[in-house]
Amino acid sequence: MERSQLIANLQTILGADKVLDDKLDMLSYSYDSSFKARNNRYIPDVVVTLTSTDEVSKVMQFAYEHNVPVTPRGAGTGETCGALAIEGGIVIDLGGWDVIEEVDAENMQVQLRPGVIHADLNKYLAAYGLFFPPDPGSSQMCTVGGMVANNSSGLRAVKYGTTEQYVLGLEIVLPNGQVIITGGVNSRAIKNVSGLNLTKLFIGSEGTLGIVTKIRLRLWPKPKSRGILMAVYDDLEEAPKTVLEVYKAGILPSGIEILDASAIKAVNEYKPEIALPNAEAILLFELDGNPASVEWEGNEVTRIVNTRAVNAEWSTDPERMAKLWQGRAVTATAAARLRADGSRIFAGEDISIPLNQVTESIKRIKALGAKYGIGVVNYGHIGDGNVHTAPVINPEDPKEVELANKLVDEIHLTAIELGGTTTGEHGIGAVRSQYARQEHGAALDVMYAVKKALDPKGIMNPGKLLPKEGDNKDVSTSAGS
Amino acid sequence: MFQQVPAVKDLLRKCVRCGKCRSVCPIFKEIKTESAAPRSRVFLTQLLRDKELEPDSAVADRANKCLLCKSCTAECPSGIPVDQMVVAMRSYLKDYDNNKTKRMLVSTMFNNRKSLKRAHLLLQGYQATGLNHIVNKTGVLGLISKDLETANRLLAPVSGPIASRQIAEKTPAAGTRQVKVGYFLGCATNMFYPERALATIEVLRRNGCEVFTPKDLKCCGLPHIASGDTAAAAAKTIHNFKAFYQAGVDVIISDCASCSSMLQGNYYDQLFEQGLPEEIEYFKNKVFDLNKFLTDSIELNEDLQAIPKTTVTYHDPCHLVKSQGIKDQPRKILHLVPGVELVEMEGADQCCGGAGTFGISHYDLSSKILERKISAIKNTHTDFVTTACPACSMQLGHGLSKHHMNSQVKHPVELLAAAYKAAEQSGKIS
Repeated sequence: MERSQLIANLQTILGADKVLDDKLDMLSYSYDSSFKARNNRYIPDVVVTLTSTDEVSKVMQFAYEHNVPVTPRGAGTGETCGALAIEGGIVIDLGGWDVIEEVDAENMQVQLRPGVIHADLNKYLAAYGLFFPPDPGSSQMCTVGGMVANNSSGLRAVKYGTTEQYVLGLEIVLPNGQVIITGGVNSRAIKNVSGLNLTKLFIGSEGTLGIVTKIRLRLWPKPKSRGILMAVYDDLEEAPKTVLEVYKAGILPSGIEILDASAIKAVNEYKPEIALPNAEAILLFELDGNPASVEWEGNEVTRIVNTRAVNAEWSTDPERMAKLWQGRAVTATAAARLRADGSRIFAGEDISIPLNQVTESIKRIKALGAKYGIGVVNYGHIGDGNVHTAPVINPEDPKEVELANKLVDEIHLTAIELGGTTTGEHGIGAVRSQYARQEHGAALDVMYAVKKALDPKGIMNPGKLLPKEGDNKDVSTSAGS
Repeated sequence: MFQQVPAVKDLLRKCVRCGKCRSVCPIFKEIKTESAAPRSRVFLTQLLRDKELEPDSAVADRANKCLLCKSCTAECPSGIPVDQMVVAMRSYLKDYDNNKTKRMLVSTMFNNRKSLKRAHLLLQGYQATGLNHIVNKTGVLGLISKDLETANRLLAPVSGPIASRQIAEKTPAAGTRQVKVGYFLGCATNMFYPERALATIEVLRRNGCEVFTPKDLKCCGLPHIASGDTAAAAAKTIHNFKAFYQAGVDVIISDCASCSSMLQGNYYDQLFEQGLPEEIEYFKNKVFDLNKFLTDSIELNEDLQAIPKTTVTYHDPCHLVKSQGIKDQPRKILHLVPGVELVEMEGADQCCGGAGTFGISHYDLSSKILERKISAIKNTHTDFVTTACPACSMQLGHGLSKHHMNSQVKHPVELLAAAYKAAEQSGKIS
């Protein structure tokens, strides 16, 4: 369909104020945080800003009838091109649909629309003494809809797991415009094994099977007490050993985060008031629960940590804890501060490794950085093996871009080789599907079958999550370009 | 040269488009589409720089849809000065900016003391005769220009003579002189809040400061650079610093958040590509906001007498809290004044939406931002609103009057000056 006709049709369906078609608007929807989007322009034909299930359904019916690709988008904070119209067509911006419809405190659940910002949700829920535990580093800007689409997690996945553990049900608009509710049409049950678990099928499907228009989340009571232990190491390789020792002692912290020397430097440059000590590595253990258990666990973890760390700081002061936790949360982008003429890139940034291979993976990644002459910052969720890597390059230098792509490919392959995966929480999008056959074997064919059953015309976020059929190479050499 | 501005040439590449700026941008909060996000402006700057995008009025419009509040700059994890990019864009796109009212205001009112006095006289006469009410009621200005009509509504009432007519060029210190202060009397304080300027002089004088207030100061240049006129901003900056340099002052103080932030050199690498002139270099790190100077640089004279009991709330001007990191100092002053009780509002550091001429050129958007602020003020149930920026004062005053609230807007220094006055009247100090 001609672009002008597409725009006119959508204006008729939705009204002109819901349709963006200006060139500058289209450019603004051509990026997310990914390295790939930095190097390419994925310009949609049209953007619609929707705030009702009916609108989404009408747009999908129209797109289905006319074979127009549709890409749903939240806040566009993803790192994989997941919300970009890489095949053109319609972008549905759901970021403005930020309505918390109902907090059912007695049943410990909330119903909300996809554009609600994660931090806003938890701020709202605090009045009820409840919270939605997954804690992405992008909490201040990412939408809960995006979290569902990517099965996001974050700093507290060690104890609280990922988004999927909290989604009780979803309202989904299918590619043909049909609206379904998963998890029971009228259900408020917390446990529910009735029927195939379609909820879990859609969680983490990255908008390739349908569009999430409503979310029913299970909530947890907010812990009464919290403390953070900062352990300081003069040898990076000692840090992962402590993590295993804490688990062996029967303690499950709510989060265990690592920052290497360069990550520490980046944080201190960004927020000097956080004042992290200069060291080869820092571990942050977050403990939560009732006051007595937090105190006991704090003492116990301090004792364990002191066998390897050169220093440890235990804090229950809310201000200090907020600073330490914020320090870790901002590392992702603060890494850019390490090089005056450079930037961090989001590529190869999300590998997830078996716990007993974390030390080896960090060693190998450091070696790979040295091999390509690229500084790599290591930080992240060491408690569940999801250690993030941040290559820092001059992204405007084509030679560095080429080397970075090679580095990223090797990082992904290293993860697979060590028994891990290419992505722990950021997703596949358009940047990691080339490893799908290697990671999933024959299961990939079942994924194709599911995709075809729900989206026979292939209009739903095309080019994401799954490699094009017939293009199932085991490895790639063009990871992020 | 646009492409050579450091923020554009080098720092731009640091943007990873993480979206942190979306979460703090007052404009994005209202519009909620990606094009309103600061990272979109960074991206458009990149496209302009790399010639992927041609300059035109549509891009100029986008560049203008920014408060220059620095919320994004202050919070950017990568350390990108987004506001500097926006300013560079505006300069580059100056010829495509169609807003005539804004340009007229900047080039006439915010020019020099003469033009300011002329504008003051005109405005005073206009308001004193009640003509402004007639104009407001009939909406006649709207026939000429909608922006002009808006400007008319936003301007604070002027009463009495302009401050610069009431202040001597040199005010001696009460007691022994400890510091020779250069007082940068900004245009808006001078014209709309002369009592504030007098309070500043009074408080400085009572704290061992000899105050030099140059008679021929020009505008600080912020309205000019904000509207893309870097040449005018540079000329005014040099002129002003020369005046202080020649007078041999130790420090330069301003009670206007925007003036002090401008004079501290936020945009100087765009104004002075060849390096800083000697007079400006000399005052590097010697320009202070009044609140900061009083609380951090000198030992404040605490011979104060209680003023009638009053409750106040405080609004953080963006150009203080985000540009200069000044948050505690004005509050410290308020706590010092006996009789004053400070009640914090929710989101005290959220922009009020004024931002100089932005409130005129984008009145509807600005009003939405203002509404949030007024509602936060309402919830404090206080007698006064305090803030440290005349532009914020005007915007807040406009919001309060729209909501028929009797509350006034004052600078903390006015309450401090009142407490000195009370002490003098009680014979506590002479």
